[in-house]
Amino acid sequence: MTTWSVEGAESDLDRFHLGPVDLTLPPGRVTAVLGNSGAGKTTLLRTLAGFLPLAGGRIRREGVDLADAPPEKRGLGYVPQGLGLFAHRTVERNVSYPLEVRARLDARARSRELLRRFDLTPLAERHPVQLSGGELQRVALARALAAEPELVLWDEPWQALDVEARHALDFVFEELRSTERIPVVVVTHDPTLAFSVADSFLVLRRGVPRPVTDAATLIAHPSDPFTARFVGFENVYDPAALAAAPVASLGGWLASRAGPEGVAFARPVVPAGGAVPGAWSGVVRAVHPTPEGLAVSVRVDALRVGLRVAPGAPGTAPAIGATVRFDVPEGTVHPLG
Amino acid sequence: MRRPHSGWPWLVLQGVLAGSLLLLFVLPIYALFTYGTLAQIEAAARNFAVQEAIWFTLYASGVAVLAAVVFAIPLGYLLARHPFPGRSVVESVVALPVVVPHLLVGLGLFLLVVPGSPLYHFTNEIGFPVYDTIWGVVLVMVFVSAPYTVLAADLSFRAIDPRVLEAARSLGAGPATAFLTVTLPLALRGIVAGLLLTWARSVSEIGGILVLAYTVYPGGIYNGPVTSTISVLVWNIIQTGNLADAAAVSSVFLLIAFVLFLVVRVGERSGWVPWRRGDLLP
Repeated sequence: MTTWSVEGAESDLDRFHLGPVDLTLPPGRVTAVLGNSGAGKTTLLRTLAGFLPLAGGRIRREGVDLADAPPEKRGLGYVPQGLGLFAHRTVERNVSYPLEVRARLDARARSRELLRRFDLTPLAERHPVQLSGGELQRVALARALAAEPELVLWDEPWQALDVEARHALDFVFEELRSTERIPVVVVTHDPTLAFSVADSFLVLRRGVPRPVTDAATLIAHPSDPFTARFVGFENVYDPAALAAAPVASLGGWLASRAGPEGVAFARPVVPAGGAVPGAWSGVVRAVHPTPEGLAVSVRVDALRVGLRVAPGAPGTAPAIGATVRFDVPEGTVHPLG
Repeated sequence: MRRPHSGWPWLVLQGVLAGSLLLLFVLPIYALFTYGTLAQIEAAARNFAVQEAIWFTLYASGVAVLAAVVFAIPLGYLLARHPFPGRSVVESVVALPVVVPHLLVGLGLFLLVVPGSPLYHFTNEIGFPVYDTIWGVVLVMVFVSAPYTVLAADLSFRAIDPRVLEAARSLGAGPATAFLTVTLPLALRGIVAGLLLTWARSVSEIGGILVLAYTVYPGGIYNGPVTSTISVLVWNIIQTGNLADAAAVSSVFLLIAFVLFLVVRVGERSGWVPWRRGDLLP
């Protein structure tokens, strides 16, 4: 049971600056690192793993400063993007690698046990090139866990997986939480899966972290356009999009409620059948079905607004080009920044 | 697999062009084997001077390959892994031996170590005399053939995803262990292909050797009779006008080279070599 703490960690890579990052990583908890491409997510993982020198701050494992520890002495399991599997070794020899380099006598027994736990026993003699995406992920994680790491860093666990394989990974996270009881840091682009496994969230923006929060806070108070879109707001506008709008228009109304980084609001719900009064009106541009009803995209002046039409009788769907009236309830509008 | 627009005139044209080139490859070899009689080839194989020249050629080219392992692989690694200033200059220098006519290579080396020059005394002093010795032959071979290994090593190391090495490091391997257990095995196939080219190029060298080590006297690691490579021997026989003997001696050496080539290939197919089947040779 090891707790890791990151205190004001900073890192420089070429002309990119990351930090200062503060994180507490308790055993069995999953922290998701979110952010746009180039926000510094992978840089953060590589700094924690010891591949990039700290330009400031500290990384501690149970209070012990890791500043001078090379990657191989940090006792962590790092699963890089692309997984970093060894193409020249079989599945079993991939999993036993961390034990072999430590000259551990139980290498064979322990890797066999991991293969069994991750359902890989039938694939033990195959090479990575012969495996599917989900199988490769399981090999990478089994290998990362082989030498009993005290922290798992996982870059894009769900990347390049089909829908079924993505959900199969839930069981892997359950292993990490309950059986292994080690802290996990994942980098991801996928909101649904991040919400289903992570306990806390660190949002990075151009290298600068927001305070760590939980899912509820992230949804109730999205801090910037990226986070707003990430947590599922479809209607997100930056100040530039609202700047030219007349005061009396929807754009002007939103501008008066926007923060420094813009504004976001949830999809307004429109009852099926249409003809209801509403403060705003838009022209329907696209309609597509979802499990929660119809997603309708309308154009209001220069703004594109996503609405939801409650499921109704067949034939009541709004037609392309029709006008739909809707309201934006005050409570659903979130200033950003 | 059928592709669109592959009508038969196009296929015939492709076949004629490809076939012509293949004929060019095969016919001269055929001519060598069939110019003389089988008895002449057998006599050549039993000839002591021929045997000695073949051993000498394999010996010298083996040393050249060893030199490529020791010197060319690290240079390839350096080029692949460390972006240092002037790297493109170094890359051009590596490509240089491919461009320079081999007779000039021999001449250049000869001018460096011509009797009386400082390098002549130095190389004699340290026990590596170059002029008319096996070291001269090896030097020419390394000059003309090592670039293939440098290039192959460079490309092979460069093709390895650095994240694979980072994974190895974080899994507990120090830099040296990661190099030996991951980098080298992954690059091995490409490097072996380069070494094979280096060997082939060494064996077939004659231009530089004619100038620097036309006759090789015993000394250093070579204790046989006065001789040189098989190519030089064949050249000498051609000079006498005895083309049947020249063809017979050539045939003996080609047979040996083909057998060696076949051993590598069969080894690959059967999987008893550490690189995987099919990638090394066509």
